[in-house]
Amino acid sequence: MKDWRKYLLAFLITAAIFGTAFYVTARLDSARIAEIRATQETISIDLLSSETQFELLGSLDCSTIAQHPVLTDELNSLAEQLSFAESRLGTDSSDVINLKKQYSLLEIKDYLLMQQISQKCGTKPVSVLYFYSNAGDCTDCSRAGDVLTYLRETYPGLRVYSFDYNLDLSALQTLISLNKVKDTLPALVIGNKPPVYGFKSLDDMETLIPELKTMATSTTATSTNATSTQ
Amino acid sequence: MDIGALGVYICLFAALYFEVFLLISFFENRPAQKTTELPKRFPTVSIIVPSFNEEVTIAQTVHSLLTLDYPKDKLDIMIVDDGSTDATGAIGKKLALEHAQVHYLYKPNGGKYTALNLGIEASTAELVGCLDADSFTSSDALIEVVKRFEEDPGVMAIMPAMKVYRPKSMLERMQAVEYSFGVFYKKMFDNLAALNVLPGPFSLYKREVFEKIGLFHHAHNTEDMEIAFRMHAHGLKIVNAHTATVYTTVPKTVRALLKQRTRWSQGFLENLRDYKYMLLNPRYGNFGLLVLPFGLFAFFSGLYSALYVAYTVASRIINRGLDMWATQIPLHITTPHLNFFYVDTSMMMFTTVIVLCFTFVAIVLGNRIAQNKISVFSFISYFALFGFIAPIWLARAAWGAVRASPASWR
Repeated sequence: MKDWRKYLLAFLITAAIFGTAFYVTARLDSARIAEIRATQETISIDLLSSETQFELLGSLDCSTIAQHPVLTDELNSLAEQLSFAESRLGTDSSDVINLKKQYSLLEIKDYLLMQQISQKCGTKPVSVLYFYSNAGDCTDCSRAGDVLTYLRETYPGLRVYSFDYNLDLSALQTLISLNKVKDTLPALVIGNKPPVYGFKSLDDMETLIPELKTMATSTTATSTNATSTQ
Repeated sequence: MDIGALGVYICLFAALYFEVFLLISFFENRPAQKTTELPKRFPTVSIIVPSFNEEVTIAQTVHSLLTLDYPKDKLDIMIVDDGSTDATGAIGKKLALEHAQVHYLYKPNGGKYTALNLGIEASTAELVGCLDADSFTSSDALIEVVKRFEEDPGVMAIMPAMKVYRPKSMLERMQAVEYSFGVFYKKMFDNLAALNVLPGPFSLYKREVFEKIGLFHHAHNTEDMEIAFRMHAHGLKIVNAHTATVYTTVPKTVRALLKQRTRWSQGFLENLRDYKYMLLNPRYGNFGLLVLPFGLFAFFSGLYSALYVAYTVASRIINRGLDMWATQIPLHITTPHLNFFYVDTSMMMFTTVIVLCFTFVAIVLGNRIAQNKISVFSFISYFALFGFIAPIWLARAAWGAVRASPASWR
């Protein structure tokens, strides 16, 4: 074979291999997005079912609810998947943004449902609304997310809802307005208290949430990475 | 994509291109099997054994030459003692007394190239070869080389296939795999008429090479590389006799290995600087268009990729430490995800794996060409160690070349 043909053939084969790798990577990323979407649909159906059940009966069997917290594990698992997809595809990916919107909606619905259950059953769930930004304007958000992830792993009873402050989602913006959360991030709304701003270490959080002292702790730490809690 | 990762992709693309190019060459012209045929004529041969403090291995080296399947009256062995301060001289003199084929020459220490030049000047043989005193030949190595000279009268120098002599430790096994890879790419460079080195262990030259282009030069302590460059510059043909096997002992410690490889790598850079007019020059064929540019690119891409990985890992560790300090989260072990969802299927991972797979194929083909056997443990040693050690000698060589400080032999 003439040498220039060999040079060209080698280039074409190399380019084809790279192209194939790119295609396979894209297909696997699409499969991941589809998996997240399927999980979200399942959670969405479960939530709708709980809400419908709640409305139908007017009240729930509070003992059952206390034993089986609504969708906490599923939402946490979804947060992990979303976080991984975000790290793979980037925060600008339209797929990721759409999934985050759906995730945020599910979180809000879960939050509202828990509040309703709390009123009916007299339970006092400890919830944290965490607002972050990954637009590059919040250097402390990553560490704040780490603290909340650790708390969530350590105290399964603690309900952490994380929201991208800049997400263009009317329901989320309503939640932000209702809680009067300013754009000084990271911001935390613990229970029904006013928002708290800035990075809080583990010790700070334990002071801010005194209920943690009486909460049951998990026996094993899992590798959750709550980035969708950033 | 950050600029650092883009650089790594360029390195991976170039590495893959190079490997694909060599594989095309392999399938285009597969290496012939060894035959039992003898050469039609046995030319006179002188093998020079340049020695400096080689008391441990010199006797075995000379004995391997004495057992070569070659007419004794056509082969003489010249031990050139380059001012050894150990028992090399005594052993050399004893061997010369015991065997008529062996001659002992002494000279004050002046470097390997001076020892080689003394041997060449003292010899009158048609073919002149060199065998480092840490290497041993297989008994048919010389016949295989002579057959190759006979096949193509235009051939001016021949290099053999090199294997590592009885690798034991992980470091030696790593080098054994590396030498197998070397067998493959040297054969492919041969296909491309672009061999870039005539290594010390058993490279043979026609006498007229030295008459045409002169003797060995100091050449930044890599005279075996420089002479190959010089031969290409003068259009003299170099080939590889993959059926001629030579065994070499390899450095047993990381320190010795780094010293050896720094010398080789720095020698490549400095010789390339001396012969820069050949770089990307079509007049010098695949040597100028492929081997030199890719050698240079491989040097810097190896260094760059290692620095990128080191920077990425170090920054992650530092950031993790700072995060732990700031958040006060205690150190806790996290269980890895077993779900396929979390498997790293990034483009970087895919392309790295592909390049490694091609490297693996090249090593396997090198094994086949050299009829070598490499254990799984050797492969593990290679893939576990090489990536960590090679960047160190690359960095040292680059630094040495920048400072123009000569790389030492030992």
